[in-house]
Amino acid sequence: MSISREEVERIAHLAELQVDEAALAGLVDQLSRILDYVAQIATVAAAESAPPFLPGPAAARFRSDEVRPAPLAFGPERMAPAFRDGFFLVPRLGAFGPGDTEAEEDDA
Amino acid sequence: MTATDQLVDRLAQAAPLNALRTPIAEVREALAAQAATASAGGALAGMPVVVKDNICTLEFTTSCGSRILEGYRSPFEATAIARLKAAGALIAGKTNCDEFAMGSSTEHSAYGRSLHPLDPERVPGGSSGGSAALVGAGVVPAALGSETGGSVRQPAAFCGVVGIKPTYGRVSRYGLVAFGSSLDQIGVFGRTVSDAGRVLAVISGRDPYDATCEDRDPLPLPAAPENLQGFVIGIPKEYFPPDLDPGVRRACDRTIKLLRDLGAAVRDVSLPHTPHAIPTYYIIAPAEASSNLARYDGVRYGPRPAGAVDVRALYRATRGQGFGAEVRRRVLIGTYVLSAGYYDAYYRRAQRMRSLIAQDFRNVFDRGVDLLFTPSTPTPPFKAGEKLGDPVAMYLADIFTVTANLAGLPALTLPIGRVNGLPVGGQLLAPAFLEDEMLEAAFTLERVVAPEAEA
Repeated sequence: MSISREEVERIAHLAELQVDEAALAGLVDQLSRILDYVAQIATVAAAESAPPFLPGPAAARFRSDEVRPAPLAFGPERMAPAFRDGFFLVPRLGAFGPGDTEAEEDDA
Repeated sequence: MTATDQLVDRLAQAAPLNALRTPIAEVREALAAQAATASAGGALAGMPVVVKDNICTLEFTTSCGSRILEGYRSPFEATAIARLKAAGALIAGKTNCDEFAMGSSTEHSAYGRSLHPLDPERVPGGSSGGSAALVGAGVVPAALGSETGGSVRQPAAFCGVVGIKPTYGRVSRYGLVAFGSSLDQIGVFGRTVSDAGRVLAVISGRDPYDATCEDRDPLPLPAAPENLQGFVIGIPKEYFPPDLDPGVRRACDRTIKLLRDLGAAVRDVSLPHTPHAIPTYYIIAPAEASSNLARYDGVRYGPRPAGAVDVRALYRATRGQGFGAEVRRRVLIGTYVLSAGYYDAYYRRAQRMRSLIAQDFRNVFDRGVDLLFTPSTPTPPFKAGEKLGDPVAMYLADIFTVTANLAGLPALTLPIGRVNGLPVGGQLLAPAFLEDEMLEAAFTLERVVAPEAEA
């Protein structure tokens, strides 16, 4: 197994993804299978020294720094699950769970 | 009966394929509205085009095959859609796809699998399976799809139609919902090379809304040459492995003979890093996906589960309930390969491997080879459920298409024969921005190939 149950829980936490207890065992197996498979690129020595690939145009194109109206057919109030007075509404912030690294750092 | 009525009838008759996401009544209404304002003199006047459900339209919802965007209506339309409409094309609805374009069979759609038009037990390919199935069934002459690792060419080959993946930067990605931003391109399906090429010509060209779209004029559509004299066509040996389906091999051999008969010089070549393309892709694409899909959190759009006690719980519940199994796997793999301690071993290494794969192509094209010819897929269309249990087996369905995405090159598939009645595609690959040469060869080959003949 190239990835443990604890590691899957940790990356699910990093990815802000709720994973059911029932689905966890299957995910550990599937992610291990995928990671074992992709790890074969470690065997290619030339991949240690090649430059990283850069997609897209050789030079970035810039446009003038002007405020322009966003070309939208309607505003966020039509899309948002909860919206009032120009703001998206969310439940309260905080309440970081135990084992949450950011919360621990904040406490330190 | 008007042409629009006939089109709506054909779409309704194709309902069992589960290829169209838009309800028929909504299509009829949208077509009537478009007919009233459509440009009659445009290059695509009156041509109906269906669009993969990850390309934003104002007329229809854009759900990307996902519960997390169920009912989502975009406040803007993709540049490709605006250009199709300006050229007189009629946008005839949205098509089913694997969730966020992640899959090779359209079985990973939250809205049910699409069926192969010739055999309901088989898949139409994916992820743009709905678009491929509707063109394959003769419902529409052309469709838009999108490619990250072969999601136009693989289903086009399975459904017996033409599929084009343009050079990265040829077509604006504005309004294409992002999956792997360094790989994504909008692609085109057509009943013929001409239908697909005409649509590609219209949607291509510079766009101030996409900084990765090259500053180039729209692609001019070439004429078909009499023959292929002067063309040097490379046959990369890595695309003909011992376990290649024998029927696919026969269809390719027959096509290579046709290329020779047309006057092309056919030469054996090697792209030695090809075996590493799928592992490289399944590091880079999930890494980019995990970042791009971070935006789906239940705050600004999409459905939101009730009862979250705080914003973090809202994120986790929205994503946990909204994403399907394959998207979840890729978000987790992507997060893993980008995380501290694994970044160098996986992501950075894959970036370097990607350079070697791109260099393989440059080496061949620099030595006088104009185009490459390969099979488009390793097998004819497979049965539904056959690859669902093993994600890696599903990934390998894209083994011959993923290299063009990694290297940013244009590629095209066209039907070259049948195996047990099922379509097989042959692929042409060209150097970056030489779609015109690729289309010339495709036009010429299309005239002599027997797409419905058993190989």
